[in-house]
Amino acid sequence: MRCEEFSARLPDEWVGALDDTERAAMREHVGSCAACRQELESLGDTWGLLGDIPVPPPDSRALRSRLDAAIRREQESGLHAGAHGTRWNQWLLAAGVAGVALVAGLLMGRMSSPASTPNDVVALREELRDLRHMVALSLMQQQSASERLKGVGWSTRLEGPSDEVVTALIDTLRHDENVNVRLASIDALKRFADRDDVRRAALDALQNQHAPLVQMALIDFVVETQDREAAPALRRISDDTKSDQTVRTRAAWGLEHLGA
Amino acid sequence: MQAVREGDLSRLGRLFDRHHRAVYEFLVRTTGQRAVAEDLVQDVFERVLKYRSTYRGEAGFLPWLFRIASNARADHYRKLEPTMSWSDELDGEDDSAGPERLVEGASESARLQRALLALRPDKRELIVLARFSELKYEVIAELHGVDVNTIKVRVHRALKELRDKFQKLETTSHAV
Repeated sequence: MRCEEFSARLPDEWVGALDDTERAAMREHVGSCAACRQELESLGDTWGLLGDIPVPPPDSRALRSRLDAAIRREQESGLHAGAHGTRWNQWLLAAGVAGVALVAGLLMGRMSSPASTPNDVVALREELRDLRHMVALSLMQQQSASERLKGVGWSTRLEGPSDEVVTALIDTLRHDENVNVRLASIDALKRFADRDDVRRAALDALQNQHAPLVQMALIDFVVETQDREAAPALRRISDDTKSDQTVRTRAAWGLEHLGA
Repeated sequence: MQAVREGDLSRLGRLFDRHHRAVYEFLVRTTGQRAVAEDLVQDVFERVLKYRSTYRGEAGFLPWLFRIASNARADHYRKLEPTMSWSDELDGEDDSAGPERLVEGASESARLQRALLALRPDKRELIVLARFSELKYEVIAELHGVDVNTIKVRVHRALKELRDKFQKLETTSHAV
């Protein structure tokens, strides 16, 4: 075993994830390499000592009772979808998609009909817009990542999306588990870059997200929106030798383009 | 969590009973303050309640829960110090863990805790996750959106940095 290989296996050694053969190979290596033996001992000691830092127990009873109160408030507010929330959501989505198709068809018919009044057309347009909002929001709540991607896509086609849609996009950027969905939400949020909550969300995400692709997209976002408040975060990424090299280069590029 | 997502909110109490200590331990070790950690545990489970519809279960409940805990901790410090930039928080030799530091004095544990709190928050979180959360490296990698070897390298580097800071504090205390 070479020293590099030994170093690479140390993290598995600390968590007890090595098998007997691997552990024996490491023991054999430290028998002939003083530097690695020293590394094994000193880092192992530090790892072990961490467990000696005392942690006072939490006041579990008080915490649980505060959570129970929050749950009661949520139940009383009637905001929860109920035991059949997911099915209801799927039904709503199917109804919404069907509704969009129906209203779009009606709208085309009315526009080509000499008997229709401008008010009819305006009313149908509004109906169509509301339905599209509903479909976008429903899709963004779906379990499947591809459905959520569609939802983010729908939101980009909305004329004058509601605050609810923008908030849903921000929630997606912050919490969605899927990188592709988070990337799509960044693109979708660019339309609203003049809003403080959107710029703040992008800056927060730049500071918290670790996926390199998402970091790159967020760097592009803050540069496109010329958000100078992002300069310290970009500098930190650019200087961080542990960050992905491509991300660091992009962050340095971002700093230049922000004039910071 | 799937049941909570679908509206059975009473099940959240059971999830709390099962996981709140792990979340608390993560937060108390990364903040060094019991009261702050308890408030953040509350915040984390209220966020679980609020954002339950965003839970997909693709990577499992614990990574999702710890992602929320990490965001809650970062948000807390941003609210606390609105004038302090993120880089200040990350780069500062954070000796300001407050009066409720878990262990005081010049003992080995006290010095190691000071060294841990002097690490950048992302490195501190990584060490605490790897050492105490019982999440496998694969899961921590998923949480950070990088591959498992990258996470192992980062844990290794963070632990080396912790050891160096710890040894420096040891030397300083002997010199005094």
